[in-house]
This record gives sequence, structure tokens and C-alpha cells, in this order.
Amino acid sequence: MSAVPGLQADCEELLGAFQRADTVRFERFAELWRERRFHTVFYGRIRALERNKLTKKTLELAQQYFLPPYAFQIRVGALYLLYGLYNTQLCQPKQKIRIALKDWPEIQKFQQDLIDSQHYDAAYIFRALRLARAFHFTAMPKLLNYRTKKKIEENEFKEEFKDPSNRVNSLITNDVLEELMNIHDHYQKMKCVISADKSQPDKALSLIKDDFVVTLKDITLEHQEWQQNRMKLFLNAKEIDETENKKQEDTLLESEGSERANALARIKYRSYSAVAEASKSRRHRQVKLEHSEAGKSPSRSRKTSRRPQPARRDSPEVRGEMEVAKGTPIQHIGMPVITEENSDE
Amino acid sequence: SIDMLMSSDKEKDPDVISEDSSLLTLRIRKKALDRREETIIVDRACRQETLAYEMESHAIGKRPDSPTDLVEEGELLLTLNIFYPVIFQKHKDHKPYQTVLVLGTQKLTELRDSISCVSDLQIGGEFSNQPDQAPEHISKDLYKSAFFYFEGIFYNDKRYPECRDLSRTIIEWSESHDRGYGNLQSVKMEDYVFNDLSLKIGFPYLFCHQGNCEHIIIITDIRLIHHDDCLDRNLYPLLIKKHWLCTRKCFVCKMYTARWVTNRDSLAPEDPCFFCDVCFRMLHYDAEGNKVGEFLAYPYVDPGIFN
Repeated sequence: MSAVPGLQADCEELLGAFQRADTVRFERFAELWRERRFHTVFYGRIRALERNKLTKKTLELAQQYFLPPYAFQIRVGALYLLYGLYNTQLCQPKQKIRIALKDWPEIQKFQQDLIDSQHYDAAYIFRALRLARAFHFTAMPKLLNYRTKKKIEENEFKEEFKDPSNRVNSLITNDVLEELMNIHDHYQKMKCVISADKSQPDKALSLIKDDFVVTLKDITLEHQEWQQNRMKLFLNAKEIDETENKKQEDTLLESEGSERANALARIKYRSYSAVAEASKSRRHRQVKLEHSEAGKSPSRSRKTSRRPQPARRDSPEVRGEMEVAKGTPIQHIGMPVITEENSDE
Repeated sequence: SIDMLMSSDKEKDPDVISEDSSLLTLRIRKKALDRREETIIVDRACRQETLAYEMESHAIGKRPDSPTDLVEEGELLLTLNIFYPVIFQKHKDHKPYQTVLVLGTQKLTELRDSISCVSDLQIGGEFSNQPDQAPEHISKDLYKSAFFYFEGIFYNDKRYPECRDLSRTIIEWSESHDRGYGNLQSVKMEDYVFNDLSLKIGFPYLFCHQGNCEHIIIITDIRLIHHDDCLDRNLYPLLIKKHWLCTRKCFVCKMYTARWVTNRDSLAPEDPCFFCDVCFRMLHYDAEGNKVGEFLAYPYVDPGIFN
């Protein structure tokens, strides 16, 4: 289906503002909505047949933001957006929101999350939509049509809206750390038991770093912070990109570059200092920090989100510049690789 | 209430886009509207658009008179695109189709009966010598066989004794050599409802009738029935979209749809030439009904006859 021109930009702008507001309250969303007078998106002299089609496409676009992998806040924003669009549409009878069968369990889980975290306004809104019979339960999310498209349009979603894929965090969760701690304690106690001096493990038995669990936790926390910092930098870069002044952009790019370099330096410094001093018996195996190659950094394909800006013809070049500028520093962000064996025996 | 938060403070006319709109969508749309105002003299729905809209929405919300005809909750609604068999040059990019809504508990035969194809109405034979006897046997009555092909199974229409198993040829062909097709089976169409089938959405299936008139069928959507849909079982299969085909008009009066086509006609300026009934008789037969001139005449059914 050919998209409604400009609609994706408007929706993303509204959701972006909602994300920046950093809240999930409906009142806040309603304010943002009223600021933009979003209900006028259906205005314009449109006859009935086309109005139906237009509304269908609008609801379909908004519905995409409602599903994973988007961040929780974005999904709540999408729910509010759907509610607003459904109620302010001009079609009679109202066009419905299509939900695929496979997405339905996730949406129910989402609703359960809302209730558990006591976001009662969002849960109420969802319930209101269901009571108003606003949903079509379908097999497939997108309604097919059969015009051969001149080019396949890819839906580029904004990266910021997505939850950062946190592989490290999903591996080293709190539970895992707790268990590691327990095992570590147990291990220490065993060592004490079998060594001569009951209160302390034998020197010969100290084969691992005693506080490796704490170090692991610190490293994971750092990774998280680093990711958030990177996100913020990316967001800043995007915002800066949207200002009209090109010269300003150049200088800002440079200062961004230095900002990023500073951030990098800070992170590196902290990770350097986090290395524990090995005990004397293990000094020959002192930890050496190495720079990781670009390959080790979590590769996130930077899809340039195509922003429909018909008036600005210099945007592609600007974007190209941005890409290059971003490319080089980011390659050097790497996780410190600890060469020593961090084995658990 | 929650709804109050949505509506604007001042009542605005939905037809007018305000100048200071902050939405990109509206700015683009306003440009398009302004352009339309400059170029189009009279801006109103043409009859094709009115027809399309009517077809889409005429059945919405209908309720049956008797409660036995009410569609139950939990019923599935399938949307099928049935493509026309004609292949015109201008349809290269997208083939025209009609869209039909079908309930899950309906039999395949009901869908078969609802497909209106112009080849069903063809009348075979040359009738220049006896023009009054023409519309006697339309093909639909003569050749009743038909089959659907879904997912490797042929569903043949066996309701009438004249119906033959058209799919037998295909099954024999595929079994004769190792063609790479799995087991193709043949069953009776009237025993199956749509709920029994396993289908792929977007995958082309086939409907064949008259021995060689083939229509591609694609299922575009399956969803649960909704409160706002038409709940009268008798109206299904429901046609909601139809391609508008221009009818060929009579060569003489240019007003009526052509009903006859002549070949090798000494009286006609071109070969083949189309005539409506009145003009045909006036030109080719004299006052007593005798044939004038040499020609071959066939009854003609225009594809646009279902408009």
C-alpha cells in the first residue's frame, strides 16, 4: 500500500515528543496531541471512498508502533495514538484496527504489564477500545493488495524507539549474579574447610580473583551506561541534524566529535581503573587491557531513517556527512577485553 | 471525560485545512488539494467511484429478517479476490478482479454459484439464418462442470449428472511421469465448507469452469466477524468490489450494448463488427425477415455486462 505522505513523520514526531517527556501518563500525551491538533490529520476535502482508504492506512501505520520490538513507552504512546485516531476519524462507520492473531498474546501480556505497573490510565484506554469494538482480529497484520509496486518501500523505523537489544543484560541478570555470588561463597567456604587454617583459605588455593562477581557486575553496569550514552549521543546528533543551519551543523559535528571522544575517554578511564590488582602470587598473570577491534562492538546497522523532506535537497548530503562522521569514532568504542582467564573452577 | 481531551476547542470545518497546521501530512495534502482545485473544473465523484463506494458499504450493518439467518459470533470471514480471465493489453500491470466476502461455514458450491463470468453466458453457434432462435442455450446450462484447486486438492462440482471431472486430466498427467507434484486428489465440492480447508493467504489458487475458462483466486484476508459487518447469511457470498469494464457499443447507434457480432459481412465496414439487436435486424434483414447479403452472425456477450 502506498503510504500516506507525511504521516509517518508526524507520528514519529509525536511519539518522539512523548518519549522525551519521559512519562506514560495520558494527560501528557493529550497535551502533546492538542498542541499539534493531531485530530486534523483527517481533514481536507476527501470523499468517502478515499477517506475510508486513508483512515485504514493511518490506523495501520499507528498500529505498527504498538507491537514489539518497540520500547515500552513507545508502545504506550502508540496505544494512546490509536485511541486518538480511532475516535477522531471521520468515517462512518468507523474503520477498525487490525490486530493479527500472532500478536494478540503479546498484547495481552502488555496489558497485564500495564495493570501490574499500575498504569491504570493506559489499561483503561485499552479496555475502552475493546469495549468500543475497535479491533478486527485477523490472520495477517497487513491487508494485501495487488498493484505491482514501482519500488518496494521499506519501512524505516526510528532506532531510538526500539529498546536497545541488551544481550549482555539478558545474560548477566540479577539472578545470575546472585547465583554466582552464592557459588563463590560456597567455594570459598570449601576452600577454608579443606585448608589447614579454618578461617582462611590456603594461599596455594587462591586461583581466581576473589571479587570477580563484583567486577562482573561493574562491567555490566558500565556496558549499560555506555549504551545509554551512545543512544543519547545519537539522539543529540539527530536533533542537531534537524536544524536548518548547515554551517552550524559543521561546527556542531566537530564539537560532537570531541564530545564523543571525551565520553570515550571517560569510559576507558573507568574501565582501566576497574581492573583489580592481582594478588602477589598471580602477578605474572596481571590483567592486561586490550582494545577490542571494531568487530567486537555490537554491530548495529545504522539505517538512515528516511525523513520525507521534500523541500530540503541538501539532506542526503548532510546525512552522508553524518554517517561518515559517526562511523569513524564509533568504530573505536570497544569493550575492554580482559585477557586473563576468568575461569570458574 | 477522555473524549473531551481529543476534540479541539473551536469547532472547525473538516473540509478546510487551516493555514498554520503543524502537521506535515496536512501541508502535503493541502498542496495536492490546491493543485486539484486549479486543474479540475468540476470536482465530484464520478460514477465509477460512486459505484465502488456503494458496493463496499451497502451491506455494512445489515441484519436479517429472520434470526436463523443471523451470522454467529466467532464466524470467520474470508476475503477472496477472483481475477478475470480476459487478458487485455492494458491490464499488463494489474489484472482486474472482483472481491468477494465469504463466510467460513459456507460451502464451496455457494461460492461457485456466485462467481459471474461472462463465459457462462456464451451461446455457441452461428445464427445468421435464424436470428430469433439465438438465446436458447447458454453455456452455463450446457457445461456445468467446474472445479476449485486449493492446496493440492481438486474440488469438483458433482451436483448434476452432466458434471464431469475436469480435474481427471490433470491428475493423470501429473501421475504419468514424475513431474514433481505431490499427490493430487480429487474430491466433491459440495461436501466441503471453507472452514475445512487449509489455505495460504496471498497464494494463487484456481477456479476452472467451462472446461477451459480459468480464474485465479487469491485469499487476501481472514478475520473474525465483527459487530459492524453484514450479519445476514443470505447475502453471502457478498460482492464488494468489481472491476468496471467498458462495454462495446453498437457500431451504428453507438448507444446500446452490442449483442451481435458479424464476420465476413458485406454490409459492415469492419471485420468483426458489433451491433445491437435492433440495428442488426434493421440492417441485415428486410421487412419479411429474409437475410440480406452474406454474413456470419454470432450472439455476443460483452464482458461489461455485469456492470
